[in-house]
Amino acid sequence: MLRTLIAKDIRNNVLSFRFLVSFLLLFAVITATVLLLAGDYLKKQDEYARRQIEIERYMKSYAHFNRIGNILRPTQPPIPFQSLVRGLTSEVNIEEFDNDPLPVMFPLIDLTFIVAVLMSLIALIFSYDAVCGEKEDGTLKLMLSNGVSRSKIILAKIAGGVITLFWPFVLSLAAGMITILLHPRVAWTSLDWGALGLIIAGSIVYVTVFSLIGVLVSSIHRSSASSIMTSLFVWVLLVLVVPNLSPYLASIIKPAPSRIKIARETHRIQDVERDELGMKMAAEKRRELAVRYPVLAENLSEADKKLRLARDPVYREAYQAAAAEIERVWAEANRIQSEKAEVLEGDLRRREEAQIALSIRISMLSPLASFTYLSTDLSSTGVRNLAHFRALSATWDRAFYQDYRPKKIEALRSQDPSLDVWNTPVDMSDAPRFRYAEEGLKGRIRSTLPSFAVLLASGLILFAAAFVAFIRYDVR
Amino acid sequence: MTWTIARKEMASNLTSYKFVIVLLLTVLLTATSFFIMHRDFRQRTADFQITRPKPGEPIALLPPNPMAVFAKGLDDAMTRSFEIGVVGITVRAGQSSGNIIYSFFPSPDFLYVVRVVLSLVALLFGFDQVSRERERGTLQLILGSPISRARVLFGKWLGNFLSLSVPFLLTTLLGIAFLLFDPNVRFSTGQLGRLTLILGLSLLYLSFFLILGILISTLTRRSASSIVVLLFIWTLLVFIIPNLGTLLARQFVSVPSVRALSEKRQQTWTREVLLGTKSRDWASHYKAISDDNDRMEEDYRGKFERLVRLSRDINRVSPAAGFLDAASEIAGTGIGEESRLKREVIRYKNSIIGDIIANRATSNKNEEYPAFRYVPRSLAEIFAQGALFDTAWLVFFNIICFALAYWAFARYDVR
Repeated sequence: MLRTLIAKDIRNNVLSFRFLVSFLLLFAVITATVLLLAGDYLKKQDEYARRQIEIERYMKSYAHFNRIGNILRPTQPPIPFQSLVRGLTSEVNIEEFDNDPLPVMFPLIDLTFIVAVLMSLIALIFSYDAVCGEKEDGTLKLMLSNGVSRSKIILAKIAGGVITLFWPFVLSLAAGMITILLHPRVAWTSLDWGALGLIIAGSIVYVTVFSLIGVLVSSIHRSSASSIMTSLFVWVLLVLVVPNLSPYLASIIKPAPSRIKIARETHRIQDVERDELGMKMAAEKRRELAVRYPVLAENLSEADKKLRLARDPVYREAYQAAAAEIERVWAEANRIQSEKAEVLEGDLRRREEAQIALSIRISMLSPLASFTYLSTDLSSTGVRNLAHFRALSATWDRAFYQDYRPKKIEALRSQDPSLDVWNTPVDMSDAPRFRYAEEGLKGRIRSTLPSFAVLLASGLILFAAAFVAFIRYDVR
Repeated sequence: MTWTIARKEMASNLTSYKFVIVLLLTVLLTATSFFIMHRDFRQRTADFQITRPKPGEPIALLPPNPMAVFAKGLDDAMTRSFEIGVVGITVRAGQSSGNIIYSFFPSPDFLYVVRVVLSLVALLFGFDQVSRERERGTLQLILGSPISRARVLFGKWLGNFLSLSVPFLLTTLLGIAFLLFDPNVRFSTGQLGRLTLILGLSLLYLSFFLILGILISTLTRRSASSIVVLLFIWTLLVFIIPNLGTLLARQFVSVPSVRALSEKRQQTWTREVLLGTKSRDWASHYKAISDDNDRMEEDYRGKFERLVRLSRDINRVSPAAGFLDAASEIAGTGIGEESRLKREVIRYKNSIIGDIIANRATSNKNEEYPAFRYVPRSLAEIFAQGALFDTAWLVFFNIICFALAYWAFARYDVR
């Protein structure tokens, strides 16, 4: 019986005007987006290759240790998944003079966006009149008089709705993926396909949540005209408002000091305050040293000092010991002040992290945000990838600055002790280079578990609510 | 007679469930948006007080624009501190927020509320204007009295436009009044004029979506299909065309990425400094760096402006993109203003870089430089550089939709 009901709902949906329109729209938008994104990805890839060549050319003649950090910087290469999902990879780069303002005004459109906005809207369009529409047509009474249980009807409604939505989406996506498959230079790996599969699974859960919202709203309302109003109201709040407000709300509840303020503060601590402290401590030390080494008490001119240093071994010894003491005092002052600055910076970091965590939690009230995190993390274009990239950079940093550089410098010095190793071009072709590799699927999946869980839980709650509302529905 | 129809529309709106929902959305969103963006503005003003350059420092820094409360646009990018040094212009790091979640979702400023949410609301007012009256049979009654179809249509537009724009204007004016009470937010009279223009533009934009709704409702027999078509047109116009348009433009105009430029710059200056440590002729090496950067910048600016022009032209297919462009330019936070600011910063740099290099080469520490002055474009310039076209384009969209709606309504079978 359930199967008959589902088949009826699917047939009903497929033959409807809205199915035709949404299929056409989805197909056009998805294929156009994939085509454009793939083209854009290829351009990015070309540019990345050109940039690497430039760096190699530079390294051949000008690589020197003093400023190598400005040249060999870890950069994120374009990844094949960018032909579907863009996430945080668009280059706004507000820290550079030539930042790119276009993505700020017109955010790029990608698969995440299409599913999050378009598919959720389509899901509501299909389900807003699931119950009240049948009531208005009078078919609900007929069905119920046939001895079909209400739970079967509501299950069939939900299943039928989701299945009808599934096919247009998957077919359009398949059409888009063919362009990717046919393109020899967009090399998708099995890892990427696995991630895509999971993203599709996430999309289905996401779309189901919106279908359930539609069914729930429609079994609360008596007329489909008011049901669509409520559905759209809920949609606007969940899709267009809650996620956008979340970081602002979080910044009100858990404020973090502005980065500029902290930067100024730490600069002052490590510069002006450090000097004051150092002077004070050095003066004290000098008084102490004057007692310990009376030879130093004499006030000598620079020339006399030099003369005496050369001739008088006692004086030389005292002078060197005192200089070492003073140096230690300054190092101590430096340490104290950096510790103070470190406290401030640590506090800023902690507060920022708390604020981010809260923003994420608030935004996850909206299924759109959960889905966005899920799909960007799975495709390595999200927050998770930023952390992964930072970890890779740190590893490279260690390999270059702690292993490679000291060894190389020592080797250079052993060849020519008088060489200015910092400002001489050096052959660094044997240096470790930064290589970006995407994180394994396991880690990515683990990071998306909360999003999946939230989506599934909200689905379950909505299902229960829709079920109860339909059981109590007055079909007359 | 038109007025009677308009009054009837307003009366039936007032008692409808739709109106409650719409009113709730408008009031709630406008108020929240004002509150949040105002707070954001105050925070940025506090940051500005910290970074404000001392007299004589070669730094170009603009205070946050109070209009950003309405149209945030590129104000974050425009209020960065551009510091001029021997190697050219650098941006002091640390001016962006540490909260990455901001970059996932667009900021909910007034323009966002109007462009995305209120346009949907306007559609909801229009989508069943004709089809519902036909379904109920009241259309026959109205047309049974001696009144022309054009008047009916106009009356419908007027009634719905008023019931949409009155709550909208009221909450907006309340929001503005709330802003005027804050002594930190100081609008000049010019800016208040600009605000009025933005409000006018918003009304024009909302009116377009209302007429579009009426048009589609005369083209479809049932209001259920009318809403489906309208929602899809709405997503196309508001989201898909503007966002795909810029992507399409990038296919035609190759612009080097921000990263590529910055890498090139780093290579240039480290190379010249390395050579400089040998030759000791600092002035000529600094000059080489500055010349190289200038060449690159010139090339980039040209290409980028071509990209912006092209993507604007593509995006104009959608009134939402045109509205966003025109309104943010009028507010002074648009792409055109940002490009101009950058050009001015470059000019400022060119005017003092010679002195900076000379002072640096002679290790003169007590140098003082003239301050950076920036006068935003006047309204006349803004209108001449595209906003007038965008406005005219919106008016055109309104007229064409009205004409089409009239044409469709005149042929409409009211049975």
